[in-house]
Amino acid sequence: MAIVSFPSSILKVTNLAKSFGGVKAINDVSFIVREGTVTGLIGPNGAGKSSVVNAISGFTRVDRGVVELAGHDITNQAPHRIAARGLIRSFQIARELQKLTVLENMMVAPFQQLGESPWRALISRRAVMREEREHLAAAVDWLQMFNLFPLRDEYAGNLSGGQKKLLELARALMAKPKVVLLDEPMAGVNPTLAKTLQGYISRLRDQGVTFLLIEHNLSVVEAICDHVVVLAEGAVLAEGQMNELRETEEVISAYLGG
Amino acid sequence: MSSLVFYLLTVAIFFCIYCIYGWGLNLQFGLTGILDFTYITFVAIGAYFAGVAALQPGNGGIGGQYILGWHLPFPIPPIIGGIAAAVLAILVGYVGLKRLRSDYLAIVTVSVGQIVWTLIGNITPLFNGWDGLAGVPQPFNSVFQLDFNHYQWVFLVICVLFAALGFLIIERLTHSPFGRVLRAIREDEDVAAALGKNVFRYKMMAFVIGSIYAGVGGALTIAYIGAFNPSGFTTMETFIIWAAMLVGGSGNNRGMILGAFLVPVLFNEGTRFLPSPPGNPLLAESIRGMAIGLLLIFAARYRPQGILPERKTVFRLDGLPQGGEAGGDRLVPQ
Ligand SMILES: Nc1ncnc2c1ncn2[C@@H]1O[C@H](COP(=O)(O)OP(=O)(O)OP(=O)(O)O)[C@@H](O)[C@H]1O
Ligand SMILES: [Mg+2]
Repeated sequence: MAIVSFPSSILKVTNLAKSFGGVKAINDVSFIVREGTVTGLIGPNGAGKSSVVNAISGFTRVDRGVVELAGHDITNQAPHRIAARGLIRSFQIARELQKLTVLENMMVAPFQQLGESPWRALISRRAVMREEREHLAAAVDWLQMFNLFPLRDEYAGNLSGGQKKLLELARALMAKPKVVLLDEPMAGVNPTLAKTLQGYISRLRDQGVTFLLIEHNLSVVEAICDHVVVLAEGAVLAEGQMNELRETEEVISAYLGG
Repeated sequence: MSSLVFYLLTVAIFFCIYCIYGWGLNLQFGLTGILDFTYITFVAIGAYFAGVAALQPGNGGIGGQYILGWHLPFPIPPIIGGIAAAVLAILVGYVGLKRLRSDYLAIVTVSVGQIVWTLIGNITPLFNGWDGLAGVPQPFNSVFQLDFNHYQWVFLVICVLFAALGFLIIERLTHSPFGRVLRAIREDEDVAAALGKNVFRYKMMAFVIGSIYAGVGGALTIAYIGAFNPSGFTTMETFIIWAAMLVGGSGNNRGMILGAFLVPVLFNEGTRFLPSPPGNPLLAESIRGMAIGLLLIFAARYRPQGILPERKTVFRLDGLPQGGEAGGDRLVPQ
């Protein structure tokens, strides 16, 4: 399969491979994500979608292949370095910071805060407080959008499953990422709110944020993804627009059924 | 001065020192989740280095043999003690903190404690071996020319000042974005890393800062007692500090003050007044250990977060720039 390297590709994955013992989670995966798009990553359970996200974000070391972010080779870099380059990922199973409040979860997200240096925290209290106010304002905005504002002072561990997913997404966006990898962000979120989230994702995309979205709900994929990559058994089966893929033989037999 | 006043002063001084120890351990474990099972080793390194920084050069004779012997005036020895503990923490941290699993560091710390204890005991030229250091000059005593009893007051003031400064610093760190990152790491290292935090670096900072508290506390201890030897840093000592933190409330620096009062002062010192049956001198010591153990078990059963648990951070939102409501215009907060 030919990979056309668009000049506007912000994330490029080439010949990625990863095995866990005998299990080949990623066989040979190549695709690109163009800047300012929502790219869907779909496929059956165990296809390797989460593994690809883990590989891109540095959480698993790949055996082979290259991951490039905005032209930089980030293959097997430490997760925090990759995040520092503006790539933020969410986790399939929400991982809230339990004994931090919802608002604190949000406040952890901004990158390179002044007060994260112990020295600055001690001596530049004024400047740190000022920065905290700015981040607070942003956090409050996000929480209001995600209907989490009333729960702001609740420990994140006490949220419901769906609320944790929302917090996971809100926290990722709070980090002002350039590229966001979302692993089933709408799983467990009620339909109305899921619709709202779709709207947010589309609008953020219009503002230049790039998304790689893992999602099993194909109507969501169809509604917001500009381009869709189908994985099966650790390899790219097909890619294109969702409505084209619905007609593709391999995709139907491997994933869609019917 | 009555012996009771003298005794109470001694207890007050150790109370301050235990607070300092506790805050350091609290930063490491309570905030960051680092399992440091040899905290007392960092206390000891601080004590020894502060001791040899304050002592005259060793003559190898009655005073014993030891390194340095710089005869530096207070408060330089505690600074050196803090630095020495920090250096050891960096070394231990490089070995133990690189791994993701927290139990790995726990094992490393236990081993380091054993190694350091054995080395210091057996290599006499370092810190005079099992006999340890003695005759460490008391801070400012040559200035005030006070008798031993009145000097207690001076030393209490010194300790209160150190503790006050230590509290101020630890409180600021705890309630800063730095402290927030540490707690995020405690809750889930992966999430912290996914948000761009260099987990190893933060854990190292928490470990080192906590060890500085240990080292300075140790420096105060040797400055007060004037002596220090390997019997002063056994596993039991680490246990007492841990117990104080867990009972008082890990993650809460005020809880730590309470814990320092309850465990080392009330349980450890208080039980010294229990009548010791003749012919069984070790019984009192054992009872002390058991009493603290029981206190821990009760705390774990009825108050697992400690008496004063970590406080919830509630941000004041008044006066914030007003944002849009859900679906409002300001989608990307600026
Ligand atoms: N850490 C691991 N150790 C061993 N095997 C793993 C590991 N991570 C993933 N795998 C295996 O790799 C394969 C792909 O898993 P992955 O989580 O990437 O699937 P997925 O496409 O995200 O599926 P789902 O839609 O169910 O989330 C599976 O067979 C899984 O068992
Ligand atoms: Mg998955």
